[in-house]
Amino acid sequence: MSLARPVARRLVASSSSSSQIISTPCHQLLGSSSKREFHSTPQLEARRKNRPRFSNVRAAEMGLVDEEKIKQFSKQKFPKYTKEEMVELQKRYSPQQIEALKAGEAAINPRDLTIQGRLRVDPYKMPYIDDFAESQPIIDKRPQNRAPPDPKANWMGLDEFTADLIKWADQFQTGEVTGTMKKVVDFVPEEWKKIAEARWPGEVRDEAHKQFKKYLQAEVDRSEKEQKAKREGRSLEEDTSGPTDGDVLQYILERSVMTDNGLVSNSSVAPALPDKVPGVAGMGYKAAVDPEDQGLDDNGIYQEVKRVTGMSVKDLLALRTRRIWENRVSNQTRLGKIPSFYTMVVAGNKNGWLGLGVVKSADPSVSFEKARLQALRNLKPIPRYENRTIYGNVSAKFGAAVVELSTRPPGFGLRVQHRIFELCRAAGIYDLAARVPRGRNPMNVVKATYEALLTQKNPETIAIGRGKKLVDVRKVYYSGAPIPELGQTQHEERRF
Amino acid sequence: MGIHSIVNTCSHLQNAARARLGLTSIPNTKYNLRLCLALHRAGFLSSVTRAGPTPPLPEELLAFETEPVTPANVATRRLWLGLKYYNNEPVMRNVQAVSKPKRLVTAKLPELAKVARGFPQGQLRGLSLGETLFLATDQGVLELREALEKKSGGLVLCRVS
Repeated sequence: MSLARPVARRLVASSSSSSQIISTPCHQLLGSSSKREFHSTPQLEARRKNRPRFSNVRAAEMGLVDEEKIKQFSKQKFPKYTKEEMVELQKRYSPQQIEALKAGEAAINPRDLTIQGRLRVDPYKMPYIDDFAESQPIIDKRPQNRAPPDPKANWMGLDEFTADLIKWADQFQTGEVTGTMKKVVDFVPEEWKKIAEARWPGEVRDEAHKQFKKYLQAEVDRSEKEQKAKREGRSLEEDTSGPTDGDVLQYILERSVMTDNGLVSNSSVAPALPDKVPGVAGMGYKAAVDPEDQGLDDNGIYQEVKRVTGMSVKDLLALRTRRIWENRVSNQTRLGKIPSFYTMVVAGNKNGWLGLGVVKSADPSVSFEKARLQALRNLKPIPRYENRTIYGNVSAKFGAAVVELSTRPPGFGLRVQHRIFELCRAAGIYDLAARVPRGRNPMNVVKATYEALLTQKNPETIAIGRGKKLVDVRKVYYSGAPIPELGQTQHEERRF
Repeated sequence: MGIHSIVNTCSHLQNAARARLGLTSIPNTKYNLRLCLALHRAGFLSSVTRAGPTPPLPEELLAFETEPVTPANVATRRLWLGLKYYNNEPVMRNVQAVSKPKRLVTAKLPELAKVARGFPQGQLRGLSLGETLFLATDQGVLELREALEKKSGGLVLCRVS
């Protein structure tokens, strides 16, 4: 059959072909042997799947990439500002902004916009095209429009402070309370202020006296009005120009205590303290011992942990901490091996909180103590099902170590390796099975277990995500009654 | 009825959810549509819409009436699926096809009951917290618990959690 087939096919092919082939000479037939059909399926070219249904029409063939067309389109779609438009823009924007606009216009070639620019018009387009008309505090940087801080500014001395206070008080011209009355000198132009009155030109002197008289009259009227109001027993607060409570508060809170004339800066760097801050010099640093600690932490070791966790020193000391791994490691340098001690400590309150501390130090005792403090700092809540086991089966990978934790029924116990056992005891987990199928590097196993305990699924979250009601069948089976929670001490008695 | 489109759909949905897509599309087949409706019933999808090759407008996603399928447009129809996210996490994180074209996995009713309680049965692992199985039964594509309610076993399509 294998021998017969090609011949048969050839016969079929030639017989089914049109008369044109029959009429072609023999040598031509042989020459076009690659075109002969040996099977009924169409040739590769014809049955190619991805062949487009329509032949492509190039943009050049449609005359779309002509320079003329591009120019015409650019002119039509991205025209330059007309004179009228510029006038309108100048009304809205400051000269600097106009300059920026012009620079921007000059920077972008309309031809580039025509060839490369794409404006999305579909309903899912991102609304990020912005004309920068408004500053958006979340996205934009704060404008840095203030001068840098004065490097020579120093704390005010007594004299400087007094001068500053008088300067502040002078802006409230009430005569009685603070400040001084204005003089004739205050009403002449700047250039005549330092020259004696006798040498002023006539018109300047007349104008100054006229203004001064007006000012005096106004002062007299005001004081009369004030006295009248006082007699009638009503306050005239809106007319007095003395410092209000708000002004005083502003003075206390906002007035600069440096000799920089109240310069406000954009810099977040505060001016450096001088060698001796007046009023504080010589008082020295004393370690604060909190009376709340009841003498448990006189060295201040736990102060930082206390601040971070918000727990009292007594509670911190009551937590269970265990050293679960330590070894000597060394760093090979050109000076030789530099040894240090690696310690891993687990801490927990036996009631759902677990922390891990990993520290290296030159001294083993320091290493342990620091790891212990770090473990206390790192306490995190571990979700527990019925306060005894975990939710569902979880697994986590750290390095080559994979840990698979499985939830187990009450009374199952902790059938886990000893380091995971220590973690479970500290966290208050009493029923658990664990497999460590791959790498068993102690450090990686402990870290993977910690991660697995933290990445448990929460049934509540699943229910909300799906919009479904999830029911704990164990609770339904016991007719909705909560399972009696075994107290901490009961667990302790039962197992340990 | 081939299972390959379901397997492709499973992979695609998992990839799309992990890429945090809001809307994705799959080929419009009856099998795909039934699986999607079952996923929608189980709360894994926010919307299932039949539309053309371009994504439907946001307001059309929830419209009851879509463009009717005609012989002229049937080849271009696709199913547009709205994916769900909660707490910055996809609601549908793992979508694993169980039956493959090379090996179909079926389960009878008693076996399904075991799997639903979390015990392994044959080629099927027991369900863990938040996991669901989808089955093609003679009553349509059903979630495992729906199938148990209707007392119907069938072809195990995929495992979703």
